[in-house]
Amino acid sequence: MKKLVKMLTAVLLVTLIALPLFAGGKQEKQTAPASVETASKKEVQIRIMGYGGQDPAVVVRLLDEVIGEGLEKEGIKLSYEPLEGDYNAALFNALSAGTAADIFYIPVETAPGIIATGKVLPLNGLVDTSPFIDSLVEAYTFNGKIYGIAKDFNTLALHYNKDLFDKAGVAYPDENDNWDTLREKIGKLAGIGDNIYGISLPADYARFGAFAFAAGWKPFDEKGNTNLLDPKFKTAVEYYTGMVREGIAVQPSDLGQGWTGGAFATEQVGIAVEGAWILGFLRNEAPNIQYGTTFMPVGPSGERGNFLYTVAYGINTDSPNREAAVKVLEALTSEEAQQFVLEQGLAIPSRKALVDNPFLKKGTPEAEANRVVFEGSRMGFVYGYQFGKVGTDWFRPINSALATIMTGEKDIDTALKQAQSEIEALIERAK
Amino acid sequence: MKVKSRETIAALMFLAPFLIILGIFFVYACVRAVIFSFTDYNLFNTPRWVGLANYTALFREANFLRALRNSILYSIIVTTIQTIGALIIASILNAKLKGLNLFRSAYYMPSIASSVVITLIFLWMYQRRGLFNYLATQLLRYAPIILIFLGFTLVIQTVLVLYERLRGFPAKWFDPALLVTSILLSAAGTFVVSILGLVSLREVPPVDFIWLQTKQQIPSRPEFLAMPIPLIAIMIQNIFTTIPTFMLIFLAALKDVPISYYEAASLDGATAIQKFFHITVPAVQPVLFLVVALGMIGTLQMFDQVAIFGNAVPLESVITLAYFVYNRMFPGAQLPEVGLASAAAIFLALFTLTLVVLQRTIIKSEVK
Amino acid sequence: MDDAAALQSIQATTRYTSEEMRAWVARRRWALAGIIYTIMIAAAIVFVGPLLFSALSSLKTNPLEYPPGLNIPQLYPSNWIAAARLGRLGGGNPLLGGFKPGARIPFRITYFVPEDVSAELPEVIVPRRRPGAGLGAVMKIDYAADYAHVSPVMEAERAPSAISIDGERVRGEYITYSFTVSYPGEGPPIDRVPVDITSSPGVIYVSSTLTASRIERLGRVASYDNLAPGFFGYVFRNYVRVFKEARSVSTGKSLFFSWTLNSGLYAIARIITNLLFATMAGYALARFNFRGKTFIFMLVLFSQMVPGQVTFISNYLVIRDGIFGLTRLFGVRSLLNSLWGVIIGGAGSSAMIEASKVFIMKQFFESIPREVEEAAMIDGTTQLQRYWRVVFPMARPALGAVTILTFQGAWNDFFWPLVVLTSPEDIKTLPIGLLSFRQTYGAAGDWGLILSGAILSAIPVIIIFFVFQKYFLEGVSFGGSKK
Repeated sequence: MKKLVKMLTAVLLVTLIALPLFAGGKQEKQTAPASVETASKKEVQIRIMGYGGQDPAVVVRLLDEVIGEGLEKEGIKLSYEPLEGDYNAALFNALSAGTAADIFYIPVETAPGIIATGKVLPLNGLVDTSPFIDSLVEAYTFNGKIYGIAKDFNTLALHYNKDLFDKAGVAYPDENDNWDTLREKIGKLAGIGDNIYGISLPADYARFGAFAFAAGWKPFDEKGNTNLLDPKFKTAVEYYTGMVREGIAVQPSDLGQGWTGGAFATEQVGIAVEGAWILGFLRNEAPNIQYGTTFMPVGPSGERGNFLYTVAYGINTDSPNREAAVKVLEALTSEEAQQFVLEQGLAIPSRKALVDNPFLKKGTPEAEANRVVFEGSRMGFVYGYQFGKVGTDWFRPINSALATIMTGEKDIDTALKQAQSEIEALIERAK
Repeated sequence: MKVKSRETIAALMFLAPFLIILGIFFVYACVRAVIFSFTDYNLFNTPRWVGLANYTALFREANFLRALRNSILYSIIVTTIQTIGALIIASILNAKLKGLNLFRSAYYMPSIASSVVITLIFLWMYQRRGLFNYLATQLLRYAPIILIFLGFTLVIQTVLVLYERLRGFPAKWFDPALLVTSILLSAAGTFVVSILGLVSLREVPPVDFIWLQTKQQIPSRPEFLAMPIPLIAIMIQNIFTTIPTFMLIFLAALKDVPISYYEAASLDGATAIQKFFHITVPAVQPVLFLVVALGMIGTLQMFDQVAIFGNAVPLESVITLAYFVYNRMFPGAQLPEVGLASAAAIFLALFTLTLVVLQRTIIKSEVK
Repeated sequence: MDDAAALQSIQATTRYTSEEMRAWVARRRWALAGIIYTIMIAAAIVFVGPLLFSALSSLKTNPLEYPPGLNIPQLYPSNWIAAARLGRLGGGNPLLGGFKPGARIPFRITYFVPEDVSAELPEVIVPRRRPGAGLGAVMKIDYAADYAHVSPVMEAERAPSAISIDGERVRGEYITYSFTVSYPGEGPPIDRVPVDITSSPGVIYVSSTLTASRIERLGRVASYDNLAPGFFGYVFRNYVRVFKEARSVSTGKSLFFSWTLNSGLYAIARIITNLLFATMAGYALARFNFRGKTFIFMLVLFSQMVPGQVTFISNYLVIRDGIFGLTRLFGVRSLLNSLWGVIIGGAGSSAMIEASKVFIMKQFFESIPREVEEAAMIDGTTQLQRYWRVVFPMARPALGAVTILTFQGAWNDFFWPLVVLTSPEDIKTLPIGLLSFRQTYGAAGDWGLILSGAILSAIPVIIIFFVFQKYFLEGVSFGGSKK
């Protein structure tokens, strides 16, 4: 006991003495000596950081079964480190502590923030971006520099519950539907029983935005400003919140659900507006639901609107093995790799060449949903799920306006006026 | 003099580990927070001195002002209710009856489980189809029967008390023996009435009060008094969990009051309420400062509940100063704003200290 | 207590004898006691009720069901027996169930078929399904669907009857069907056998060998999470899920188990450091006279008033950089996402040596007369030796309080671990882990898992509280004795 106390006291004293010596070293010194050593032995370890959840299984299989072997011959070993929970928070932690991997995911919505750390390597001249879908490349281009190669993407589509439409005796929604015909169809659904609704709509820009785009509204003008008082925006708000006010639509939270996919699984709503990520959820949570998928309805602009959700691979500027990292990045986004991911039904590839893949035309509900989501990227007004420098705070005023309008606390004009002034303040602060 | 210096060395030896830890993780940390609050540090840049810019920016930020308002309302209301509640329960528990220790343990249960556990349970109960709304529905359904029962009790009690007084006993309006009799009688009466079908349950739709996903405020104006409903939900939960701890502190203080005080007061014809204000309250006065201070420090730092409620509630309805600081330090998707976070933290600290000092002065002068 | 006063006032004014008076007053005393006890019980229901009710609800398949009654199938003895029997038939394990080669699980389901509905034989399938969409849903598992064989469905019984639907009397008949799910041939043992039974539209599910987990597709599908659950697998379904389902993606180990272990280690480390150092500091402040004593004491008080939000910013950076780079001596670059970081650093007063514990010890040592200590001193030893041999053992009651309060604080600590531990999942402590549960399963409305996890995590503290109640209450009043 005595010795232990003395020892611990000694250790702590050393700490105290060392304090002033190191206090200045706030900024991390880079290049970990360990990895330099391995580099010289021609055996390079490339770490990849990405999402938890479903991704580890996908990426680990991709590494093991498709690209691992080829890279190993070149002396490159791969490892995947999932950052579970809040990915962005974990990535910022790792970047600031200097423990981030050589390659990491860059979600499109937080790309500006991540790139602002100065820890993402511009890929111009290192990687050929021409085979990738243009809008995906654009989403990662800032000031002419390309910071990431999209690994896959998603768009929104209408997923409908066939049982409910059958019971109401209404035709399924299809690609010819516009806002009005869709509203008519789902309006009938709400009549077939208590707690049955035509569609589930959250007070969330992530879904509402697609409707605003279909009305012809743009999130940012050339100067980077946002106009919520645009009549087109108001039309979309009227349509979207009106369905909730009339009881045709329901917010998922009103069904005790966190998102519209959850609401869809309760079999109380006819339609969920979601991406292909709903498929895996339905497979587990509502395996017996009979569903179909079709395109977003045509809006008053005569076009559909949609979001592009995507995640890219980026390279750490501090990576001691830049060349190897570029090789790995190319392998991860190679045609071979994307074909594999697609066939596993896991994600939709970012290469133009895969558009005509037979896998998308198999005719099963899941393949059909994937096809609709894939083609959604080329139909009408499609914008990245991105908010410039402001980051995710940008859509808070919009969400809050939608919520207050849906519950009837405020009328549309008052709510939008307030949102506009809040969003202007946010943009002003970010500049 | 020599003895003195030897003692100092010994003391420092005993204190060394504590002082080192306190030095690094408290003193150094506080100094650094103050320094950061005058810079534009974001973890990835070289900090630049910006003077008071962060402090002025704070008061232009809508979320900070909301957080400030929420924190103040939260602190005042929760501290008041939980202090009074704890004092009342403690004074009841202080009765010299058998088996009260068992109750004391039961009451302490909410305080031992972690805030996460309690918050998760409450979050579940606050769901739209959750227990709270269900109980409210039941209360409305049974309202006729409950009202009949209360009415019966009132009438029977009045009759009994008047009768006892006629007989020459000094019965009070809340005479316990008569109260028990009238409760039993009216329970039987209510039962008979409902069997005969004279009253029945009301048909009411399920109560659908939205506790969480709402921006409604009570009262809806004025703005500086308006409490968002989700914040009220957290208040209820916090009161529920902290009453027991404070009750124990009060109970410890009340133990020292001799029973003879109460007996003497009774002889002088003091009512229970008079005894509460003239004996119980002064007796706990020394710990009252502590309880109020602890309550205020705890409530002003409220963080866990906001983090756990998370996306189940609109952030601006429940954001507190403590959460604001965390949120600026770890915004997730953007660059951290260490400067702004530090400024808000320093503000929170100064605010807390001012309030604690103020209330100490007030409580002292009030009682003396 | 009011007796004397009451008696006096009565005797002064009335015609009753003193015996009658005494009885009258005694009645009041009994009634008052009765009322106090009733209030106490009511308050106990308020304070313990939510915990108890959520514990019971956590047994339900869906704790969010409405109305939230206590009519829980998991509490029917008939289901216990059925679950245990099916578990034995399926996996040879009446407690945890399962599905092993050679299993034969006979099953019956009863529907009510109204007169105007024509009922066809229900369709029985074993779907390829796994529970939960959350943590660890990516693990490769064997599916019962690949090995199970379902016998043709047979009609077993038919009995005419009538039931009332929405207040209307509907005539029809009860029809019972039977079938057997078996595991022919060889194969791996499988955890669960989900089954879906789809019937014709219009028929109404009445009962089955084991109560259905849920009814889907507007009443057409009776779905079972596991046909051979075993007793625990059925009654404590969500609790078994807490351990089995949430797994680390990298190691495959049960997350909840790792979290519990981490919380345990964290608590033990904090108890040890506080017992060693906080007591020493408290002793020094109580017994020695030296310059700066008042200053240090004020610092102790002050540090308890400054919010953790002030200090965590710097502390986060210190931990991130491995305590001024010191940890590089051990080859560790950063203490973020490590239990060491949680133990060593601390928001507000440091976790390792808490100012509040120093305070408790100081109060305690001041309450012991100096003479007691001096009488027991052994000559010719150093101050530190004397402290450990004589003073420390004397402080047992206060040490108990410190231990218990530190344990509770560490076990329930939220803010600082949240700052330090972000990823991977298996490094988290219980409260932070529960937050992941809430984020992962809350969105899917899967409250069964969240509530079970919460209840499980509270059990150790509750047990320790009941065993060491005395120290708990002492600790609180030690803290309360400050003036």
